[in-house]
Amino acid sequence: MLAGTADVAALAAGAATVVAWPSEPVTLTDTRTFHLVAELRRPAREALLPPGLSPTEPAALSIQAWKVAGSPWGPFTLVVTRLSCRSGVRARGMATAAVCSSATAAAALAAGWGYPCRVGAARLDVRYDGCTVTVTEGDQVRLAIEAVHPRPLGPDDVQYTATMTLAHTPQGLRLVQVEAEPCNERVERLEARIERFDAPAWGDARLDPYHVVAATLGTGTITIAPVRYVCRPDVDAFAGTERVA
Amino acid sequence: MKFGIFFELSVPRPFTKAGEYRVYTDALEQCRVADEVGFDHVWAVEHHFLEEYSHCSAPEVFLTAVAAQTRRIRVGHGAVVCVPEMNNPIRVAERAAALDLVSGGRLELGTARSSTWTELGGFGADPDQTKATWDEFIRVIPRFWTEEAVEWRGGCLSMPERNVLPKPLQVPHPPLWVTVTSPGTELDAAERGLGCLGVSAVSYAEQERRTAEYHRRIQSCEPVSSVVNDQVHTQNYLFCHEDAAVAARVGLAMVARFNTLNAHLYWTREAYPTWAYHALGNIGQALRQASGDDPSAAKGLPEGVGIGDPDHLVRVIERWDSMGVAGINFVLDTAGAIPHEMVLDSLRLFAREVMPRFRTREQLAAPVEAPTRLPDGVRGPSGFAVVR
Repeated sequence: MLAGTADVAALAAGAATVVAWPSEPVTLTDTRTFHLVAELRRPAREALLPPGLSPTEPAALSIQAWKVAGSPWGPFTLVVTRLSCRSGVRARGMATAAVCSSATAAAALAAGWGYPCRVGAARLDVRYDGCTVTVTEGDQVRLAIEAVHPRPLGPDDVQYTATMTLAHTPQGLRLVQVEAEPCNERVERLEARIERFDAPAWGDARLDPYHVVAATLGTGTITIAPVRYVCRPDVDAFAGTERVA
Repeated sequence: MKFGIFFELSVPRPFTKAGEYRVYTDALEQCRVADEVGFDHVWAVEHHFLEEYSHCSAPEVFLTAVAAQTRRIRVGHGAVVCVPEMNNPIRVAERAAALDLVSGGRLELGTARSSTWTELGGFGADPDQTKATWDEFIRVIPRFWTEEAVEWRGGCLSMPERNVLPKPLQVPHPPLWVTVTSPGTELDAAERGLGCLGVSAVSYAEQERRTAEYHRRIQSCEPVSSVVNDQVHTQNYLFCHEDAAVAARVGLAMVARFNTLNAHLYWTREAYPTWAYHALGNIGQALRQASGDDPSAAKGLPEGVGIGDPDHLVRVIERWDSMGVAGINFVLDTAGAIPHEMVLDSLRLFAREVMPRFRTREQLAAPVEAPTRLPDGVRGPSGFAVVR
């Protein structure tokens, strides 16, 4: 069975700090959720994951953008990149980086759920016939995605996996299982093209989303549940899963 | 009750040429032993690119070797992936017919549409279309087998009139099956008069419900050919040992390895959202912890799993038998979790202590029953040279 081979200490350098676990779920309203999956080449397969996680074959990166109108932190747009992986037998996506348009939301997502959030100009612009995702920091374009030709799907046709963030927590350095579940009223599948991807800015130069599989755009709400489980990053989830009190 | 063995041909890491060779040669020996001791079917899957989980991408080659080295056991080519980017339906019909001839009329053909993005994406197949292409395959293949001139204008195949050769030995043609993972696929099988080849573990209650509904629906089926195969077979694990504690320790290690490798597959639905792939049912996810008066509970085993001492396995199989399951196909090992010699011992013990509770000596000596027959004047498998 394949397992990650990344150096945990090196990964920890970019980890957020969770001060205290949130006790209540947070509901984000009037949301648009863009979700793109792209295959990565083999050098990114196990090299970028900690030993506690296993890669998929092929390695894949999901790029998720939330455009949120209503939240306790005000409106914001978040873009997060996630490596497809398995924690034990569960399908997950490990966050490699995130950029948020709101400093308040970025701080809350980092402090509560361990999102490795920076503040930047993250945008999800939706049109009748498609959408565009862009992230810029200063004068640097970190990400540009163009998606067109929307085709309706059923709300249940799209599956989102939970996110794992690596964070300094009250339990120590842990992989945090973030259960952020979009509940869509409407979903469309689109044909997407990544026009710009600044790999180092998203966590590692070996991230190379060379083959786009699919993209979807959902409309609805997102509920971020309180954290229930964390995992040690250095051992597999069968041995290293801990319940958060 | 029929008993089969089921091969994914899983290969443990690190991958070596010798390791892959050993998996194939061990599997062939397991087939020879299964044939000698009275098993009825050997099934080999078709998977592509699934590292460690299954290196069985050319099952027709493996099964040809099985056919050449065995006498009675039926060879299950299943399931063939009915996706045109992977298999042309003409070639499926040709290969299967040749295998039926080579095996002396012992072929069973399973059909499927693939569940992983790893496979579908690798071949550039459109996941939205696989249900439709599967439906087309299972309608045209019986015609290729039974008609001298077939012209076809379909969604994934279009051809002028041709005679697809050779024709299979069995009359009218080999039995057809559908592999069933997602709930509801058993109804697709029933409506078309196809056998239900379960490849996921479900609870007793769920299997009873599915089996009853399958048998009800197939009464009013519109069969895709003149053969109605109304059998329900399920998949299970097998490790039989005189010492129940040893059986549990060794057998559950295999189950855990299978479940983990299975869960690590990159399922289509995770990568490519589509209405065509809803459930991620597989043999691992649906295992239920036994409870109440189920004898598995006292042994710490999941409900209905073929792991235990012979007396326990008899009770487990009686339960499956009571709900109309006609056959069970067993996974014998996963990626080297159980040493080859222990697999052989398990097969022999099962045949000696468990099988006789479900079959007479005469039944074991006779050809395996099938909803087809051999042509007049053909002696069948024993008419072929058997290499030992």
